[in-house]
Amino acid sequence: MTGQVEPADAARALSEIDQRREQAIRRKVFPGWWWWAYAVLIVEFSLAVESGRGVVAGIGIAVFVVGSLVVDVPVRRAARAAPLRRGLAGWGSARRTLLGLAGFAAVVIGATLATGVGLKAAGAPHAATIATAVGAVVFAAVGPMLVRWEAAVLVRRSGRQG
Amino acid sequence: MSTPRFDELIHAPTRLSLVAFLAATGWADFAVLRDGIGLSDSALSKQLTTLADAGYVEIRKAFVGKRPRTSARLTTEGRTAFDRHVLALQEIVAGAGGSVVLSRRSSGQS
Repeated sequence: MTGQVEPADAARALSEIDQRREQAIRRKVFPGWWWWAYAVLIVEFSLAVESGRGVVAGIGIAVFVVGSLVVDVPVRRAARAAPLRRGLAGWGSARRTLLGLAGFAAVVIGATLATGVGLKAAGAPHAATIATAVGAVVFAAVGPMLVRWEAAVLVRRSGRQG
Repeated sequence: MSTPRFDELIHAPTRLSLVAFLAATGWADFAVLRDGIGLSDSALSKQLTTLADAGYVEIRKAFVGKRPRTSARLTTEGRTAFDRHVLALQEIVAGAGGSVVLSRRSSGQS
């Protein structure tokens, strides 16, 4: 049977297979607005806590929790619609993903703490909220990059596996 | 280690796209497959039924609230057939040596 298939046709088929795998990996799960919606929620949370008033803090925390649940609905739905097969990029990929997430958290927390400490030392008002806003912007700006990087690594590694 | 085996059923262009997509995922929603591969509802149903009849695909129908939701995934048999088909294709290309001028899009180019 294989004798009837031209090498160029086989190469085209392999190219199609690569493209479909890449399409599955790069399928958009996090919409662009998701990162900024979370950034707003984080700042809102910080404002509420920094207000120092119990009622305001309580409402702020409730808004954060409910807002997070609402904002996450389309992401959860998209993630469930076609989850990537486990082990697609080899079993070492989970460790790399965790390292990427840890690095991301370190950058966001680092930016927040550095800004907060600097502002506090300078005696600026609302240091915590301003620092959190900086951290939230870093979160919204770097988050999509992390997702793209993760997808690029998955595409490369799954290609080697396949 | 799989042995190469060319599979005519999988090699048909639409089914190849479908199986290649499913090979990268677990359960995939009907809508994702339809939009991703660019098929009509009826065309996708037909291809999934063909693959299911061959034992390559498992189809699940469920309800989310009142909305019906159909998903599909490759069976173990389907995955094995796909892996063997890929090996057969690679063998054909390798057998042609440098004579294949089509530039195969590398997965690593991203």
